[in-house]
Amino acid sequence: MAARTEPPPYPVPWTQGRVAGWVATVDHKRIGVLYIITSLVFFLAGGVMALLMRTQLATPDTDFITRDSYNQLFTMHGTTMIFLVVVPIFAGFANYLVPLMIGARDMAFPRLNALSYWLFLLGGIVLLGSFFAEEGAARSGWTAYPPFSAYASGNGQDLWIVGLHILSISSLTGAINFIATIHNMRTAGMSWMRLPLFVWAIEIYAALLVIVLPALTAGLTMLLLDRTGWTNFFIPDEGGSSLLYQHVFWFFGHPEVYVMILPAMGIISEVIPVFSRKPIFGYKAIAFSTVAIGFYSLLVWGHHMFTVGLPFGLQIWFMLASLTIAVPTGVKIFNWIATTWRGNLIFDTAMLWALGFIGVFTIGGLSGIFLAIFPFDWQVHDTYFIVAHLHYVLFGGSMFGIFAGLYYWWPKMFGRRLGERLGKWHFWLTLVGFNLAFFPQHFLGLLGMPRRVYTYRDDDLWTAYNLVSTAGSYVMGLGILAFVANVVWSRKHGERVGHDPWLADTLEWYATSPPPPHNFDKVPYVTSARPLRDLRRRMAEQDS
Amino acid sequence: MGSTILLAASGLTPVTADSPNAERIEDLYWVLCAIAGLVLLSVAVPLVLFVFRYRSRGRDRTIEGPQIHGATRLELAWTLVPIGLLVIALAFTFYKLPGITLEAQAGERELEIRVEGRQFYWQYEYPNGAIAIDKLRAPANTLVKLVITAPDSDVQHSYWVPGLGGKFDAIPGETNDTSFKAKVGVYKGQCAEFCGTQHAAMLAEIEVIPVDEFDSWLEQEAEAQEAGDSDLGEEEFLGACTKCHGPQGEGLVGPGLSSASVSDAENVAQIVRNGRGRMPAVGEEWDDRQMDALTSYLRKRFAEEGQSGG
Repeated sequence: MAARTEPPPYPVPWTQGRVAGWVATVDHKRIGVLYIITSLVFFLAGGVMALLMRTQLATPDTDFITRDSYNQLFTMHGTTMIFLVVVPIFAGFANYLVPLMIGARDMAFPRLNALSYWLFLLGGIVLLGSFFAEEGAARSGWTAYPPFSAYASGNGQDLWIVGLHILSISSLTGAINFIATIHNMRTAGMSWMRLPLFVWAIEIYAALLVIVLPALTAGLTMLLLDRTGWTNFFIPDEGGSSLLYQHVFWFFGHPEVYVMILPAMGIISEVIPVFSRKPIFGYKAIAFSTVAIGFYSLLVWGHHMFTVGLPFGLQIWFMLASLTIAVPTGVKIFNWIATTWRGNLIFDTAMLWALGFIGVFTIGGLSGIFLAIFPFDWQVHDTYFIVAHLHYVLFGGSMFGIFAGLYYWWPKMFGRRLGERLGKWHFWLTLVGFNLAFFPQHFLGLLGMPRRVYTYRDDDLWTAYNLVSTAGSYVMGLGILAFVANVVWSRKHGERVGHDPWLADTLEWYATSPPPPHNFDKVPYVTSARPLRDLRRRMAEQDS
Repeated sequence: MGSTILLAASGLTPVTADSPNAERIEDLYWVLCAIAGLVLLSVAVPLVLFVFRYRSRGRDRTIEGPQIHGATRLELAWTLVPIGLLVIALAFTFYKLPGITLEAQAGERELEIRVEGRQFYWQYEYPNGAIAIDKLRAPANTLVKLVITAPDSDVQHSYWVPGLGGKFDAIPGETNDTSFKAKVGVYKGQCAEFCGTQHAAMLAEIEVIPVDEFDSWLEQEAEAQEAGDSDLGEEEFLGACTKCHGPQGEGLVGPGLSSASVSDAENVAQIVRNGRGRMPAVGEEWDDRQMDALTSYLRKRFAEEGQSGG
């Protein structure tokens, strides 16, 4: 046997293999892409669950799926969309963009960052895997109110709790990482008032997660212990209080809603000025309204509990605090519209999603005002009116914002643009389907149809609205298919772009598309909130 | 008036309100609609206008709009005007609130009925001890106060009959109340808090009848239940049994019922009080009068069916 006499000249570390390069990476950009792709796969899974439910509800007394399957589906659809799609996809955007936007080389704690992603994937597998547990997945709603959730048989509920625990650790470590990065790693000149508005949104997103996730963890741990029979925190039969869980859950649950909308608002605040060829109108007003919304979101959880018999004074407080949030939200909307005033509006797909966001999110915000008025909430609480409202803010808001962000930053992440033709199909089909699916649900709620029912009263009007809603959900499904087709098509045929295809304002467009592992060779000194535009102007001056 | 009913019938407003509290909630709905409509217009009109007016029309991406960074007066305007609108909404809410939370006037008759939510039926108890299941009878134009709760061993439910006002949760260990004052008619509702496999089947109905008719019915009903010759057994079968064992007891979520399985009254009572397997303890707190009504009804019903079937 011939002994090898010399090592190969340049050993390639195993961590740079095609697969290992992704598995072992601590690069914030690769982790960001992993987050986004994984979330999108979960989004397709959650969407299929929604279509199954809408098919069951197309007409009354349908036998498409069983009662218990339906109950598992609405539980897992909500849980998936919240914990496996919207929250982590924003973590993905933030991972990719925050270091680039603030001119840093990476996140503050790259290894912790990788841990966050892998815990996210693990939590998702535990949650979706619970469909194969004894008696199937959890079936007590994404809110999991005891005593029902404490009594539910099978292991689905236990796996649901464990899955959420894993995801909470993932989100918490991610949030700490974002805060540390934003506070400590901004490049020279990047003061708080020059910070991109998306980074402002991520700062508040992370702060809210750090504040409220421990409450969720505590509540779920108590629930898990109750399920084992060792404790009785939430079991009235043994002296516990099931109402206590609702307070703990919504102290987490309401800020969670803003965790899911503030980053979308941040994306809109980046996209609208770039495609209007103007600076954002009222930068400070938008930044401060983000902080105000985050603060008030901690004080309004009781508006999810107006029908449990809260003391009268508390109902009034929660009504006032909830209405207050409408004001900073309105400030953002009016500033976005003012940004388009006298602009040079370019309707690339990213801009369509952003403008669509303003329209549909406003409807969701306004139905929220109805719900904050507690005597009116007594009528529509836990009905399809709520289902309509929450989809207008979480699909019309969060998902529209996410799509705007995907079309805007896709060229940065992959070096190629998503197709405009398929992108427009994606936008229009989704917009029309979305409104068809969810606008009639307001009326169903007013008519008396509760949420979380596998069938409903055989009544012509109820059937008509449900049928329209189901048809709308299929149109949305086609829209999402157009998006999938676009992603596949763009891998080979998407237009290759340089570092700054949109003539944008922020530092991520200073790096190449996609950026090198170390992001920047050098970062220009930042003198305003629009460093890239400043740079373009300086270069133009030098040329002339 | 006609148009209101038409609107309500199309679901564009809450279902036709037939109790003062529900009517006032509907008034509130209209004021909120007006304010929301105004805000929606103030967003949609400029948005559509600007999108049309300032569209690129082939201008190059390098052409910039005027570099306007903001305007303090505008910021103040779109902060203060919405606050003003919210204050109007709040003032109207407070103005309507006393009428929504109905209180008995001095000397006014008030009928208090206890409502218990259970998997998957509603049990009502009248002041004289008479029991009803799922379907409540109530006197017209009389203040009826519902005291809503659930047994400690049960789960959360929410009692809601939209034509007669808002919903209130039936929570084990907690008590809520709401009142209505209705015209003659039949009002439908159902459980609004997810409570398990047959949550969707947990329907409620309130039949409002003239006062004197109600009073005599209630007296007779209580006597009949005491004597054991009321329809309580059938009501219990329909409310507590059929939702899982099928409308005719033929089996649905749970197994089918037969004369063999229901003939032993003691065995039936034991199962109904304690539950078995996935079956909840639907009759945990039933007294003997209720249990006897059910067991004798079951025996009679399935014995007859056995004969006719054979």
